[in-house]
Amino acid sequence: MTDTAEHIATEPELPKQDKLQRALFRFRQSRLSMLGAVMVALVVFFTAFGTLLAPFPEHIAGGVDTAARFQPPSWAHPFGTNELGQDVLSLVMAGTTVSVLAGLSVVLIGTVIGTLVGAIAGFAGGWIDEILMRLTDLTLTIPGLILAMAVAAALGPGFTNMIIAISLSWWPGYARLVRGEVLAVREESYVNAARAIGASPSRILLRHILPNTVSPIIVKMSLDMGFAILMVAGLGFIGIGIRPPTPEWGTLLSVSRSYMPDYWWTAMAPGMAMFFAVFGFNLLGDGLRDILDPKARR
Amino acid sequence: MNSSSSFSLSRRGLLAMAGIGLASTVFPRKIFAQAGGGVLVIASGQDIPNFDPHTATGYSASFFMRNVYDPLVRVSGNPPEPQPALAESWEVNEDGTEFIFKLNPAAKFHSGNPVTAEDVVYSFGRALRLAKGNSWMIRDIVTPEGVTAIDPATVKFSLTAPYAPFLQVLPWIFVVEKAVVEENLGSDDGETYLMTNTAGSGPFDVARVEIGTLYHLARAPEAWQAGGGNLDGVVWQIVRETATQRLMIERGEAHIAVDLTSEDMDSLEDAPGVVRVIEPEYRTFSIKMNTEHGPCADVNLRKAISYATNYDAILDAAGYADLMIGPLPHGILGHDPELEVYRTDLDKAKEYMAKTETPEGGFTLKMMHVSGLEQQRRWALIMLDSLKQLNIGLEIVPMNWPDMVAACRSPETFPDMFPVYQTANYGDTDNIAYAAYHSSRNGNWQNAVYNDPDTDALIEAARTEIDPEKRVEIYGKFQRKLVEDAPDIFGVLERRKLAMRDAVKGYQFTPVASNAIEAWPLSLG
Amino acid sequence: MLQFIVRRVLLLIPVLVGLTVIMFAIARILPGDPVALAAGPNATQAEIEALTVEYGLDQPVWVQYGHYVSGLLQGDLGTSLLTRRPVAADIAAYLPATLELVFAAMAIAVLLGIPLGLVTAVWRNRWPDYLSQVAAIGAISMPRFFLGLLLQLCFAMWLAWLPLGGRLPIIVIPPPSVTGFLTIDALIAGDWTAFTTALSHLAMPAIAMSLSPLATIMRMMRSSTIEVMQQDYVMTARALGLPRRQIITKYVARNAVSATLTVIGLYFGWLLGGTVLVETVFDWPGLGLYATKAIVSQDMMPVIGVALVIGLLFVLANLVIDLLYGVINPKVRYS
Repeated sequence: MTDTAEHIATEPELPKQDKLQRALFRFRQSRLSMLGAVMVALVVFFTAFGTLLAPFPEHIAGGVDTAARFQPPSWAHPFGTNELGQDVLSLVMAGTTVSVLAGLSVVLIGTVIGTLVGAIAGFAGGWIDEILMRLTDLTLTIPGLILAMAVAAALGPGFTNMIIAISLSWWPGYARLVRGEVLAVREESYVNAARAIGASPSRILLRHILPNTVSPIIVKMSLDMGFAILMVAGLGFIGIGIRPPTPEWGTLLSVSRSYMPDYWWTAMAPGMAMFFAVFGFNLLGDGLRDILDPKARR
Repeated sequence: MNSSSSFSLSRRGLLAMAGIGLASTVFPRKIFAQAGGGVLVIASGQDIPNFDPHTATGYSASFFMRNVYDPLVRVSGNPPEPQPALAESWEVNEDGTEFIFKLNPAAKFHSGNPVTAEDVVYSFGRALRLAKGNSWMIRDIVTPEGVTAIDPATVKFSLTAPYAPFLQVLPWIFVVEKAVVEENLGSDDGETYLMTNTAGSGPFDVARVEIGTLYHLARAPEAWQAGGGNLDGVVWQIVRETATQRLMIERGEAHIAVDLTSEDMDSLEDAPGVVRVIEPEYRTFSIKMNTEHGPCADVNLRKAISYATNYDAILDAAGYADLMIGPLPHGILGHDPELEVYRTDLDKAKEYMAKTETPEGGFTLKMMHVSGLEQQRRWALIMLDSLKQLNIGLEIVPMNWPDMVAACRSPETFPDMFPVYQTANYGDTDNIAYAAYHSSRNGNWQNAVYNDPDTDALIEAARTEIDPEKRVEIYGKFQRKLVEDAPDIFGVLERRKLAMRDAVKGYQFTPVASNAIEAWPLSLG
Repeated sequence: MLQFIVRRVLLLIPVLVGLTVIMFAIARILPGDPVALAAGPNATQAEIEALTVEYGLDQPVWVQYGHYVSGLLQGDLGTSLLTRRPVAADIAAYLPATLELVFAAMAIAVLLGIPLGLVTAVWRNRWPDYLSQVAAIGAISMPRFFLGLLLQLCFAMWLAWLPLGGRLPIIVIPPPSVTGFLTIDALIAGDWTAFTTALSHLAMPAIAMSLSPLATIMRMMRSSTIEVMQQDYVMTARALGLPRRQIITKYVARNAVSATLTVIGLYFGWLLGGTVLVETVFDWPGLGLYATKAIVSQDMMPVIGVALVIGLLFVLANLVIDLLYGVINPKVRYS
């Protein structure tokens, strides 16, 4: 972990190429960021290949083996079997897909909506700004998890519904961030120059303002991935997430809860997987923040 | 009240031995052992949001009514038999349309006033007027005009038609004190008042309420009922997780737990001081198929599915349960244990599959289940596994109960498969037969779509027949007819699973609403 | 100052109106048929229709909204379809439990987070510092409900040191309600047994909730302390021979207060809305459990009520924090 004050102190003007190399160098220097990157890589790997590599692929599709219920961890089943005789490891490996894809979708949708709202508000100013920002503040006051639960429960379980439900309260953070950046950049000399030579507002927005907001957005996205995964798992834990038989960590954890303490192993793998994935994204995001957005670090 | 003093006594005992910082899990065991006839603690997952005996539903409400209110007759024993409650005796005319009940002169409300025929008439009138709660059980059989007070201690019921299960239904219609309700009538027939207040004559009354947490009933000073135990009170404690209920029983923090799973029962097997009650009950679990719309409208497909179902897995997943033999629960009047039913047989399944329009399968059916109901989720996965053998896919949709109920409104919205638990609210075959297979219940979750005039005729005939032997004969035909029509995958009868501390004395199992514990006969010792 | 408060309180009105509009719109746009549930499983179509009329659900949405708002002005949050109980009374019954949990979690976070942050700042770039940085990110990453389950498994199920859940065992009669917080009420009543019992029930859920704010406070304290230590005036003070500890204590104290305030501002609303999962794990009879039960039954009035109350508390908390900022740092202008 590098130190804060240094970053604020020195950020010399460097050519683009050097800037990137320097960032990469600093990233590699930070052991924690590297650890995060490796963990995220592993999570992404399981997202793509978890279902293929699972030792009992038939269980992922909903196959059951009631004769082999509640077997404790063994070589054949490193995390034991569950109440239907399914291999817990296989289910958890396959569960990565839902968690990561859902998390990613939520963060992307949040980013797109938030960026649009924030950019429009910041650039337009005046009453448009006022209205959009009031709406943003308002959404921030609604408890996100409760809103997501209510909407997900009403729409019924399913991947898309879950993402809609969570995204509803996910954008305000981005809107505020982007608006702030836009306001800061708007008065910069090159933007004024562009305006002076008659560039259209949308062109200024796309060419000059948004590129400058990319770094903080990427940092926020990386940090948010972890929280989005937790939110998805939270909905599953309450029992309003994805449809069976698709395995999902929160649902697996909530089901295994009824079998504690006797069959405690059914809870361990999904819980640890959640922790691992979120930890990875948070370490990475934290490292990225040090490098890309040093002034936000506090 | 005597109960509250003894309650605080036990608390003082607690104070004496609690010491500093001792976890609460340690001392209750000692309290219960020392307090003797004290307060019985029942751990249950269901809250009691409504006290009104004429509008509330759910087994927790049944527990409340059974202990705070009195019906005309109670039900107890195995098989269940009507027992005197407010009525000390009754007569019935030859064709079974007129019942005359003599009230027990000792019967008193908590206010101290005697229970009169007028109160009974008022209560039945109110139940029918509000048309909520349990009133459906007597709807169309009892009319407000048909209940009359002959004298202050005698009530006459003139039924609209002979109704064999009448005495089995009566335990679920409770009597309120007319004067108290009238005083607090409001604009809604006293519904608001009775939701949080009581006007009963039962052996217990409400002493302390913490919404969503516990309901403490204390023995009423006026308790007039005979045959009571030594309890000073009963606490209905809300414990949502079954594993927690089980640990509470193990540690002596609760005396009775009513929502345990088979896994919980297994781990309680050798627990010292714990008595397990695992008894068959009139509670069926089957998977209804859409007989009117979609692929399952074809009886051959329904038969193919019935043969393809992995019954062993269903039984394994259910734990303490028995496979159903036909549509009726074991042991109920008319059930035929020799009935020939579907068992896993892939050859036969394929044979019937060949008779359908889609012998090769290749389509997907939709099955809903109540989200959060663990057993239903398990069974859905087992069906998915079973149907794979016929090359049929299964889309599993967990839903909220209200949405499931809404889906039952029409055959078009009803899914191909729909799992249903059906509890006999009253211990008569008619309860299951009528609710689950009569076409008048179409659009309702118990029987959303299945309708067949022959089946209807059999149900109606058995309902109005008073001679038990003839009823058995009719129900025999009824069962064979249903197996032939295969509207359901007949699943399992989950046994009732209760666990109690051995300190609980005087418990007798009754296979009707046995989780709504009747506390009066119980003792702690 | 007074003007500032009045202005901020007046600004609450549009926020509340907006909140009710949004929640009401969501509740009405969503599919689902809660009336069927409220009417009970054996209701006829006619009964369902009668109930729909009884609850005014047959009227246009804006009429329903009008009724809701006029009720709201009289402190009426509507009636639960499922239990038919007034939502306001239910929330009043459940809110103290949630608040007690949130405040307990905050207390743990502040009491542990500030010293930990200081220590790691002093030991900057040595291994306890690195370790604590990893631990902090780990703490933020730990799913609260999984941590809750682990605590429950270890301390309640295996070791049996702590109770599994709930607020008080039934044999302990709760102390007379003053604040609604069982621990504090027990102290007021001088009931030591009730206090320790309530505390033993509060411990695990509060710890599970405290992890995220704890880690955040710790990191903020660390970085702000490092900043202070490198400021010119601190250097000067040191050059003048003032003892290092005295300097740090003085400047750090102010930082500690402002870090605490910031984190409370950040986390108060988050914790209030986020108790749902922990309350579910520990059977803690608070707003989260109440909302969950209503949500699962699509009983929307309680959900709107809970969202409204949490939103209001969140806004009020931030107002109070803004005022406190001014108290600790008079340079802040209220404008």
